[in-house]
Amino acid sequence: MRISKKIIKNLKKGGVNFFLSVPCKLLANMIKILEKDKGVYYSSVPREEEGIGICAGAYLGNKIPCIMMQNTGIGNSVNAIVSLLQLYNLPIIFLISYRGTPGEKIGAQVGMAKITKDIFKILNIPVLHCSSENDIEQIITYINHAKISESPVAILCDFNLMKDDT
Amino acid sequence: MNRFDLLKLIHKVFKNNLIICNIGLPSQELYQIKDQPNYFYMLGSMGLSSSIGLGLALSQNKDVISIDGDGSVLMNMNTLSTIANRAPNNFTLLIIDNGSYGSTGDQKTFTSEKTVLKKVAIGAGCKNVIECEGKDTTEILSKAINDKKNSYVIISKVKSGNVNVEPIPLNPITIRDRFRKFIGLVPYL
Repeated sequence: MRISKKIIKNLKKGGVNFFLSVPCKLLANMIKILEKDKGVYYSSVPREEEGIGICAGAYLGNKIPCIMMQNTGIGNSVNAIVSLLQLYNLPIIFLISYRGTPGEKIGAQVGMAKITKDIFKILNIPVLHCSSENDIEQIITYINHAKISESPVAILCDFNLMKDDT
Repeated sequence: MNRFDLLKLIHKVFKNNLIICNIGLPSQELYQIKDQPNYFYMLGSMGLSSSIGLGLALSQNKDVISIDGDGSVLMNMNTLSTIANRAPNNFTLLIIDNGSYGSTGDQKTFTSEKTVLKKVAIGAGCKNVIECEGKDTTEILSKAINDKKNSYVIISKVKSGNVNVEPIPLNPITIRDRFRKFIGLVPYL
């Protein structure tokens, strides 16, 4: 819970005040925290690209939005990223559980893990790979980068970071 | 009455409201009828008009109308469940249901066969779902916008068919900035 609290705290410090998630087990503690937080908007959403659409609208309405999802969800998001977020320069923060990285118990998750960073590379989206508690300190820097560049950034939380966050 | 005829009728209702307009011909037709800064023309991301509108309605107080199509709603059907559970009262979803993929050559959608969007929306949990003829849409839409205590899903049934229009000449950033300025958010413009 300590790591999840710290991640959400840093996102809020960076100005994020609108959260959506397509839930993941690794994000469950963060979702619990957000559900109780009266200071920000939080909702689950059935599908990733829909969530990106809602976040885009929220940014137009002056929120700083974050969409939370598994890395598998990036596969569902590419067109919405390119032809909505990047077309109109909408800085949405992606908070992603990096499933399939060492520590993963489900082999089927490894495939998307292998290509996750390449997808972001092709999309020209800066990635903060959080593998230890120190990495979380960079979150605010990445949010500020999203704001000044008016473009999305991605924060990946891997198993090494989340493994003891019970 | 086709979509263009409908847009010509209803666009006067849009004056002070925030409009998210679906990609392709709906946006191009609306632009040709009358361009306004309170129109956010979608140039990509088919299916997400209702989602963008929902996020916008959740984030500020002005009334928001998402102009969507049957083909686009079928592509992002989960949006109806999200709207049912989360839409604030300043949000109206207007689905122009012409039973066809107008922008791609009028191929038929499933609403021209067995799928009934009204029933899907009700099944998703939407409370105020109204299906109407194109000619009755202005009145129903006005009532929906003026009702400050409820959100609405309106399905306006029209014939398929399009008019000849050009692509929208506006830069996407221009669309974004003048739209946000209309909301009151871009002081430097």
